[in-house]
Amino acid sequence: MFEFLSEKLQVKPPKEEIDKIFEHLQTIYPAGEDPWGLSLKKARKNMEMIWPFYRNYFKVRVFGQENVGDEPYLVTSNHSGQIAIDGMLICIAFSLEVKPARILRPMVERFVTGLPFFGTWASEGGAVLGDRQNCINLLEAKQSVLVFPEGVRGVAKNTADFYKLQKFTRGFFRIALSTGTKILPIAVVGAEEFYPFVYHPRKIARFLGLPALPLTPLLVPLPSPVDIIIGKPYEAPSELTPESSDAEIDIHIKAIEAEVKRLTEEGLKNRRSFWANVKKEDKK
Amino acid sequence: MTIEMKNISSVLIIGIAGGLAKITAGLLSKKYPELSITGVDSRPVKLEIQTENIKTVQMKYTRGNFERIFREKQFDAVLHLGRMSHADANPMGNLEKRLDLNVMGTKRIMDLALRFGVKKSIIVSTYHVYGALSDNPVFIDEEAPLRASIKYPELRDVVEMDLFSTNWMWKNQTDIETVVLRPCSIIGPNIRNSMCLYLTSPYAPIGADFNPMFQFIHEYDMASVVIRSLEKVPTGIYNVAPNEVISIKEARKVIGQPSIPVPLLFLEQTVKLLNFPFWKFPRYLLDYIKFACIIDNKGIDPYLGEDFYRFTTKEALELLKLE
Repeated sequence: MFEFLSEKLQVKPPKEEIDKIFEHLQTIYPAGEDPWGLSLKKARKNMEMIWPFYRNYFKVRVFGQENVGDEPYLVTSNHSGQIAIDGMLICIAFSLEVKPARILRPMVERFVTGLPFFGTWASEGGAVLGDRQNCINLLEAKQSVLVFPEGVRGVAKNTADFYKLQKFTRGFFRIALSTGTKILPIAVVGAEEFYPFVYHPRKIARFLGLPALPLTPLLVPLPSPVDIIIGKPYEAPSELTPESSDAEIDIHIKAIEAEVKRLTEEGLKNRRSFWANVKKEDKK
Repeated sequence: MTIEMKNISSVLIIGIAGGLAKITAGLLSKKYPELSITGVDSRPVKLEIQTENIKTVQMKYTRGNFERIFREKQFDAVLHLGRMSHADANPMGNLEKRLDLNVMGTKRIMDLALRFGVKKSIIVSTYHVYGALSDNPVFIDEEAPLRASIKYPELRDVVEMDLFSTNWMWKNQTDIETVVLRPCSIIGPNIRNSMCLYLTSPYAPIGADFNPMFQFIHEYDMASVVIRSLEKVPTGIYNVAPNEVISIKEARKVIGQPSIPVPLLFLEQTVKLLNFPFWKFPRYLLDYIKFACIIDNKGIDPYLGEDFYRFTTKEALELLKLE
């Protein structure tokens, strides 16, 4: 009965497909673990647990897989959705739908690694401390890293600011320069509607010493359909060094920012309708 | 350019009652039969293997006799393997004794080495100096700040001994070549440090909420690193760790000891409240089984060459079962 239901509801992850992916990942991590705390066994469990939500709840579609090659990238995305569900979906997409499959390493806020249970769960699934040196070491070890250069400003937005890309910080670009890694711009569309009614009291958050305090009446995210659009890799010109001036690198950061914006707009045009994302003018 | 072994004929090993020192002395005596090796320890010394070129003496480093040994033996090299570990720490962590032995003792040893024309010294510190903190980057290099005593003042001796040694090393680098080694957890049947005791004790609590990664080096490999440092490694600070890593839960699984999963958060508070360790593990080291402290081995690796380590992490852990 359970088998029948799980098949009907498509909550059972495709075993053969995941087996193949992890066979490949086993060649990258022969010990099944890595110095950053990844555990292939746990990563697989996480993936199997998240898969039904990925496929049937958020109905994730991935575009632009052909832009990803067999090399490490600094994956740079817009950040949305109040909590880091977007990051989790991007990571699953890079394991399931991108060839060759990889464990994308999302950089997390410093406090996350110190959290009991959750911190370990995240590290075992591939998450790593958001520290510059840590990121450089990962890229040097040929790992692809996921960063959100908007930082916390990107994730904690009021409803009125949805899909407004915040200014990118410079750190990620300097990391890419010091490791010679290509930047892979991507856009996530649909994550803003996980929590469509949000108020973010910045002053109270600052008073409480919290990075963000999004207030929403919803406890669980809404099943907003998510599209992940992968752009073309961006290679920094060789004459730039990690010590180049802000003015020199800002041109490139703006270009990446513009590309993420373009990908977001493209995604917004083609997205599937969902009651929370229907615009007022569309209703008219 | 480092001092060549042909110029070294007499070696002093501090802490000869310890497992690592004994193995080092044994290996050194086998490799260099002409070398005169003197082992000193304040604890009673019993060498399992007796060889002609190893002489041992039991004495305190603060006594006048200690100076006499330097004068008489004219050592060319000093291997300081006598850092007092935390294995027998009571709840208060016998800090005073450790500070005295590890910091004051080291100062006395190094000052004597300088006075009596020792050419090379090796000091074995520990990776504990970096501290186990949740925001540790993976691969901490030798230039990283030593943050061990930020949270736990009981670890002051570890940090102070290391800082003293490195300061001393740079200050006197023209007169004496000094190598400070910061090894990862040394394990082996002859080692009785906190980590070995923790790994081998049955029904030890294991974090249900944390599972940090670890680097382990077998005692034999560590002794080989000490000898290689004497032979080839120039003045400097070096992390020592193999490339392999293993999570603490996997490590205990390899050893095959049953563990009790406990939320460390809860355990930490209980130990603090009771002020009594209900199993032999100092509470100020609890963070080391909570947060990873993975060190960068790029500094020393070129001097070791490929395939230097004889034991894999798994083999080293399995050998602990033989105890």
